[in-house]
Amino acid sequence: MQGRGNQTPPPKAPDKYLWPDKPAVIGTSVKRLDGPDKVAGRAKFSYDISRPGMIYGKILRSPHAHARIVAIDLSAAEQAPGVKAALVWKQPGAEVMFQGDEVAALAADTEEHAWDAMRLIKVDYEALPHLASVDQAMAADAPAVFTGGNTKPGPVQESGDIDAGFKQAAHVVDATYSTHVVTHVCLETHGCVCEWDGDKLTAWVSTQAAHGTAQGFAQGLQIPQTNVRVITQYMGGGFGSKFGPDTQGLICAKLAQQAKVPVKLMLDRKEEHLATGNRPSAIAHIKAGVTADGKLIAYDAQSWGTGGAGATSNFPLPYIYVFPNRRRTHQDVYINAGQQRAMRAPGHPQGCFLTEILMDELADRVKMDPVEFRIKNLPDRAPNAMWGEYFTRGAKAFGWDKRHATGDSTPGPIKTGFGCAANQWGGGGRGSKAHCDINADGTVVMKCGTQDLGTGTRTIVAMVTAETLGLPVSAVTPEIGDTMYPFSGGSGGSTTAASVTPAIRVTAFKALDALCAKVGPALGVDAATLVASAGRIHVKGTPSKGLAWKDACKLLGTEPISVDGDWMDGLSSTGTSGVQFTEAEVDIETGIVRLKRVLTVQDCGLIVDKLTTESQVYGGIVGSINFALYEDRILDRVTGQMVNPNMEWYLIAGMSDVPQIDIILNNMPERGVIGVGEPPTVSTAAAIANAVRNATGVTMRSLPLTPAKVLDALEQEKAGGTL
Amino acid sequence: MKAFAYVNPANEKEAVGALGPSGPQGPSSDVRDRVMLIAGGQDLLARMKDYIAQPDRLVNVKNALDATITATPDGGLKIGAAVKIADLADHARAAALYPALVHAAGGVGTPQIRNQGTVGGNIHQRPRCWYFRNEEFVCLKKGGNRCFAPAGENQFHAIFGNGPSHIVHPSSLAVPAVAYGAKFRLVGPNGERIVDAGEYFTMPTMQNVRGENVLAADELFTHLILPAPGNVKHGHYEVRYKASHDWPIVFATVILAMNGNTIQSARVVMGAVAPIPWRAVAAEKALAGKPIDAATAAAAADAALDGAKPMSRNGYKVQVAKTAVKRAILQAGGIKTA
Repeated sequence: MQGRGNQTPPPKAPDKYLWPDKPAVIGTSVKRLDGPDKVAGRAKFSYDISRPGMIYGKILRSPHAHARIVAIDLSAAEQAPGVKAALVWKQPGAEVMFQGDEVAALAADTEEHAWDAMRLIKVDYEALPHLASVDQAMAADAPAVFTGGNTKPGPVQESGDIDAGFKQAAHVVDATYSTHVVTHVCLETHGCVCEWDGDKLTAWVSTQAAHGTAQGFAQGLQIPQTNVRVITQYMGGGFGSKFGPDTQGLICAKLAQQAKVPVKLMLDRKEEHLATGNRPSAIAHIKAGVTADGKLIAYDAQSWGTGGAGATSNFPLPYIYVFPNRRRTHQDVYINAGQQRAMRAPGHPQGCFLTEILMDELADRVKMDPVEFRIKNLPDRAPNAMWGEYFTRGAKAFGWDKRHATGDSTPGPIKTGFGCAANQWGGGGRGSKAHCDINADGTVVMKCGTQDLGTGTRTIVAMVTAETLGLPVSAVTPEIGDTMYPFSGGSGGSTTAASVTPAIRVTAFKALDALCAKVGPALGVDAATLVASAGRIHVKGTPSKGLAWKDACKLLGTEPISVDGDWMDGLSSTGTSGVQFTEAEVDIETGIVRLKRVLTVQDCGLIVDKLTTESQVYGGIVGSINFALYEDRILDRVTGQMVNPNMEWYLIAGMSDVPQIDIILNNMPERGVIGVGEPPTVSTAAAIANAVRNATGVTMRSLPLTPAKVLDALEQEKAGGTL
Repeated sequence: MKAFAYVNPANEKEAVGALGPSGPQGPSSDVRDRVMLIAGGQDLLARMKDYIAQPDRLVNVKNALDATITATPDGGLKIGAAVKIADLADHARAAALYPALVHAAGGVGTPQIRNQGTVGGNIHQRPRCWYFRNEEFVCLKKGGNRCFAPAGENQFHAIFGNGPSHIVHPSSLAVPAVAYGAKFRLVGPNGERIVDAGEYFTMPTMQNVRGENVLAADELFTHLILPAPGNVKHGHYEVRYKASHDWPIVFATVILAMNGNTIQSARVVMGAVAPIPWRAVAAEKALAGKPIDAATAAAAADAALDGAKPMSRNGYKVQVAKTAVKRAILQAGGIKTA
């Protein structure tokens, strides 16, 4: 916070840099430029990088949930076939705090040799008491595993007068809600290839922050950052878990240094589940009151959750809707499991679920339609708070008027229901730089040291350049994913598009201005009157008075245009809102939930590429379906070891599990670019649980919605009610 | 992965020979751990990569064993162990005679797994239990001294049988095989023997807990032999958590021998409820002499789950299994279920 006030405000983009009223490229559906390369296997991900003489690194990890390392003996492993380097990562005396904590590492000529040799590393552990669950950590007789306690209370958040609020409540709901721990499951696992040339390191890293990872290598290895180059041409997902070199990156670099050859160290699926982050659990005991006429009036919540061994678990609560009188406390609970990391809209899916289920319960208490009830309790309308309109628009498109009251009363075991939920996110960004070259042959290269997390960044870099230069997208070569290119920040918080596109726009404009400075005299007109459109540089309003792009570029002769540009204010903003509707089928004899359809209304400011925007929304929704129904990190309650560190029992939706998804995008060009990676994944799970409630008449207050939980809730309903 | 020898026999006899020396007392007791068969490799390769299996020798039986489905003189079918699961799922004659078996075959894994995996491999794959499949847990089946399921995460484990191992048998094809009264042909150094599918799979004891069937270490499974089905109605119902690529939570095969509109006799076998394909004799009795209707199906389903002993997290499987049995019966009767 300290330097905030000292920051000079970023320069404001001149009017002519602002996004065009009638864009030629922006807002259209452009297919990913690298799609064919990815499909054909030509795109080289870090996993695909192969360097001359390269060997393979592996990390030995703790099998124990909690233990002290007594001794480590590398000697047998060092003698094993093919082993070229080995190191101890945690020294004897140190503690390992979760299954998967790094202990030692080695590199060998083949992956198989590395695996086999790793099993020859002898580690003596002294097993220590461990905590395998939140309940174990919070038990009165729990062993004190974490310094300072197994739990850490946070501040109390309070506003209004909650006692007075509950006095005005006509109805009160008092219940416990929970969400579970899920992992990021990046299809490309974490890892890198490291190669030294003297004291200079080149690392091909699967990262969502190329420049940040270079900084991380420099700090971790104590070398100048100028000696580090990070390359991330293509990467297979990060979701918030890939912002630096991580332990495996530093180990890889050290092994490569020791072996004096390049080392590839990519984690396997098990390591990925155990040690590269997760979304913390969230549990809350919530008491909420509503007035007789359906206004939320009072809210009192005690929440807790675990982000693993010593990591935080906080999340926004209540979510979106306005409780004038409220109090909320939160405490972090530590267990012996891998630490949480930012995961696609950190905290929001938890806060959304814990709030939106309650909203349907409260709506039933006052006998209001859930959409009407939500609209009645929203914050004031604003560009980043458009839920009221979206609920109305979405309900109409979805056919919400066909929703039956809570509990499908039709005969037969298959019950159908509708549910809805809302999301919000910040997004926005700043700080990117770019470089543009225009050559005399008309070729254009736009370079930016950002990376494509999978969202289509490479494509929108080309689109914005093409728009600005009046060219087709195919005429632009976008270069990203390399720290040799100008600085751009990490791809997190839905900030990439809003950071990168203004920098591209500004840089392309500067390049265009430089070109116009040559064209103006040649045409005998003032360069300031020139514009670029439809492949020509011409006098504004008179397309015939100008030159075709290639002819214009010929004027450059032997001196190409080569300009740098920075992000400027006025081309992007922050804050999005969205709503989602789902239709679910529940088999009340098996507890199986199947989805029929999802509909969303979502904004993200100016839509740059309609296709990749929709793709982000699809992906977010599918991720949230997984959160609702399938994914679950299951720790053995006795040993604290994960029983499903794979993709056999850690379930992910397949094609047949994904329903029809309808996307209504609200384009808001006047707001500039914002970003949409996160918001769509916030609210689907809550909408699904509400649809299950509407179908069955049973309130599902805990994720995931497994058959066991659904059947159990149906039993409870028979025994006295969940409503 | 430990280095291993690879043997590629051309026929049954060579394959039996490749299993290793067989002394007067038969093969040494740990042969099954040292010498393993590979066909489609859909189970074994994953276990080897995870260091759950570390054989010295792999015997590839893909070329040695029969990969055809042929008619038998009595009107049944003989299915070779090396038949691809996809080929069984697409076999018209099998579908006409044994629709429950073909239905089960079509639901195995994914198209890739069905195109690579074999009938013999499906019947002999090792348990999918997550304690068995993770190296950290040295369970009974890996020579350890306990089954981790009772005190641990047992939501997908057995609700029948009293241990000592609480796995569920992983084969989709074994359940309809038992229901159809199939026989298995085995060959060993002393020739062939025929075993009823219903007698083939073994309930765990402390003595036999490391295996799941009666196949001796020096024997090969070569054929699944199905008798002519006769005048029967068939039902097969799988309850799946996910619609694609997932193990059924519970499934059931029901074969009803009919006398007009009355069930003369029944076979009811459940999968994923016990360490073996679990025949529900009480349900079979409940069905005999009854018409196929909702009341009969519900009563039989209740009878099928009589005596189930769920653990801490798998109580829901009782309800799921009742549903599977009920719906399989109704499906056999052509009655719409869900």
